[in-house]
Amino acid sequence: MKDKSKLIGFTCAYTPLALIDAAGFAPYRILPMGDSPDQAGHILHENLCPHVKRVLDRGMQDDIPELSGIVFMNSCDTMRRLNDAWQKVRPNDNTLLVDLPVSNDPGSVSFFAEELALLTDTLSQWSGNNITPERIENSIGRYNELAMHLNELKKRVDNGTLKDGSLRLQTIYNKAATEPIKDVMEMIKQMIDETNELSDGGLPVYLFGNVLPDPEAFVLFESCGARIVSEDLCTGSRMTHSIETDKSSDVFKRLANGLLSRTACARTVDPINPGKMALDVVERANACNARGVIGHTVKFCDPYLARMPSVRDALKKEGISFLLLEGDCTMRSIGQHKTRIEAFIEMLR
Amino acid sequence: MILQHFEDQESGIMNAIKKNPESASPRKKLALETARLGKRLYSNADDLVWAGPLVPFDLLNAMEVTPCFAEFIASILVSTDAGPLFFENAEQAGYASDTCGYHRMLMGSALKGMIPTPKLLISAMSPCTGGLAAMENLARVFKKDLFILHIPQKESDHGVRILANHIRNMAESVSSHTGKVLDKDRLRKAMENTNKTRDILSNIYKLAQQVPSPVNGRDLSNFGIVLPLFFGTEVGIEIAQSFYDELKSRIKANRSGVPGERIRLMWLQNRIQFKNNLVKMLEKEFNASIVIDELNVITWDPIDPEDPYIGLARRSISSPLNGTVERRVKQIVKLAEAYKIDGAINPCHWGCRQGTGARGLIDSSMKEIGVPVLNLEVDCVDPRNFAEGQLITRIEAFMEMIESRPSPW
Repeated sequence: MKDKSKLIGFTCAYTPLALIDAAGFAPYRILPMGDSPDQAGHILHENLCPHVKRVLDRGMQDDIPELSGIVFMNSCDTMRRLNDAWQKVRPNDNTLLVDLPVSNDPGSVSFFAEELALLTDTLSQWSGNNITPERIENSIGRYNELAMHLNELKKRVDNGTLKDGSLRLQTIYNKAATEPIKDVMEMIKQMIDETNELSDGGLPVYLFGNVLPDPEAFVLFESCGARIVSEDLCTGSRMTHSIETDKSSDVFKRLANGLLSRTACARTVDPINPGKMALDVVERANACNARGVIGHTVKFCDPYLARMPSVRDALKKEGISFLLLEGDCTMRSIGQHKTRIEAFIEMLR
Repeated sequence: MILQHFEDQESGIMNAIKKNPESASPRKKLALETARLGKRLYSNADDLVWAGPLVPFDLLNAMEVTPCFAEFIASILVSTDAGPLFFENAEQAGYASDTCGYHRMLMGSALKGMIPTPKLLISAMSPCTGGLAAMENLARVFKKDLFILHIPQKESDHGVRILANHIRNMAESVSSHTGKVLDKDRLRKAMENTNKTRDILSNIYKLAQQVPSPVNGRDLSNFGIVLPLFFGTEVGIEIAQSFYDELKSRIKANRSGVPGERIRLMWLQNRIQFKNNLVKMLEKEFNASIVIDELNVITWDPIDPEDPYIGLARRSISSPLNGTVERRVKQIVKLAEAYKIDGAINPCHWGCRQGTGARGLIDSSMKEIGVPVLNLEVDCVDPRNFAEGQLITRIEAFMEMIESRPSPW
């Protein structure tokens, strides 16, 4: 074991944070933010997802805190390549790639449960702590509590009763991904208890996609006249979710099932219902009474790009307007879309 | 239209062989059988299953179900006159031009009704998430069921066991969708055929390693990726045997694949699927021979005909297109040493994240053994932006660089 710190890096919303917590570590999401120079394209390829490239840029530039290890999830091709490249550019880091099935059928859940058990063994080696089932249950409880509080906060933002709601919610999501859970929980509680203050209107819009961690992006949406009444992003509400606490069943199976059954990223498929993602987008847009839908995906993200035509078709069928934005995880790229967002909102009025 | 294409191809090859029996090269034999496969796919007579390239086709053949993988049919369609139209059709429907050309071609042609309707689709996350997404989209378009195989990244006991079970479930699913039962004796026979084909392939690759090599740059192109469609069948054995016999006879006659072979090359991952002059130029101007394609490799042990599922699972997991780049690179380095190559060409198929994402790591590992790699930027399926002149200039410079340095061996 190379004991470096109490932090474990991660890069994907499918990471079982409760296991990291149970090992005595704090999870630290390496968000694709900061000013590290573009170098990753030389190791990977320029036409790879900017999320992964910017995470690798941070690793290459040493723009991350000291970590005891990094847990990568096999969520897509580029995440796999990130795991490969990380070992090359930072050979002294402890790393583990956890295999992540693409569906939640019983066989996949069993396989993933065994992968989580292996992850637990590895985390135990990295920490020197014996990770007992009781510790895992306690951590699941803590993360369930976090998910519940974040959900409450999200409801306030969705209802428009929290001043600068979406900006502050995203700030909290980022903190929940990078700071100790105890500290974040305190901040959330304080925010939930703030008195109601109606936000400045704006046209209700549903936002979905993958990586959009910069809180300034949400300021931009609002400045264009949009009010994000619900979002489904892997750097947002998809990051936390409740896990069943029925202690009579195997804890790894519960965790596996919980992760594979939660609101899905485009990489997760329901084989019984091909194209379900499009129907989910319509359902959520309707549920939050959105007047329009904005999809934001980072460039070169195959899972999302491949599903966008069906999303577009499904929304069109329902008569819901749709704007698709592609970005590279920088405010520069989202800022370039300002006129398009303004025009979209104008059209909806 | 596509059925006509395959029928014309079949009759054209047969007529050519009839006129001149000596022209019956193994390459023609392979082309003939792929045309026949294409005919079966498009004739509406067979039960079809669309599958990912790492799905065990021998098991499907044993069930008398016609299997095909998306990338195969895309590479056939691109050679038809309608190829560019299919790309445009996909892009008009919203499929981004940044994504893999194979999958765009597939979607564009499916939306035009040019892909035959299967009974079932089977996909996996390996080799790529883009492929899985394309299969999901096809399932949606066809309104057909999708079965997903989870192919683990590592060959762990639990991973092999679970994949073996998944393959069993897959066979049951195929059975329930086609009504075809997996007969034990046919399965055993299919595995015996697969093992025979495996042995012959292994011998073919050993022959190809000879210096000078009996193969030229076209003989074994797409071989390791297309031949598995015939695994488990007598035809698969015949095709492999014809290649073996041809190479053996060339060696006996002291005939190398490229006369006066001077430079030995490896081609990484995919070949360029549309007509181009790169290989011809390499051979003509530099006496350079592509002696090994990365995917022409046996990474798996013979499969136990009495209990094939574990062996089939191990085979899928062991594919160079699955797992970490570290494992892939080890395999590439092993091939570089076995074939004594002077350089490698990586087309870096545009839109292939799993493949191009390995570019830098392949480069650096090959550098360590003294083998230079030329990274091109090519869409291996979409010819619309193919800048052959520029590529030739880069390849020429690469060849000159190789000629100016001592052999790594």
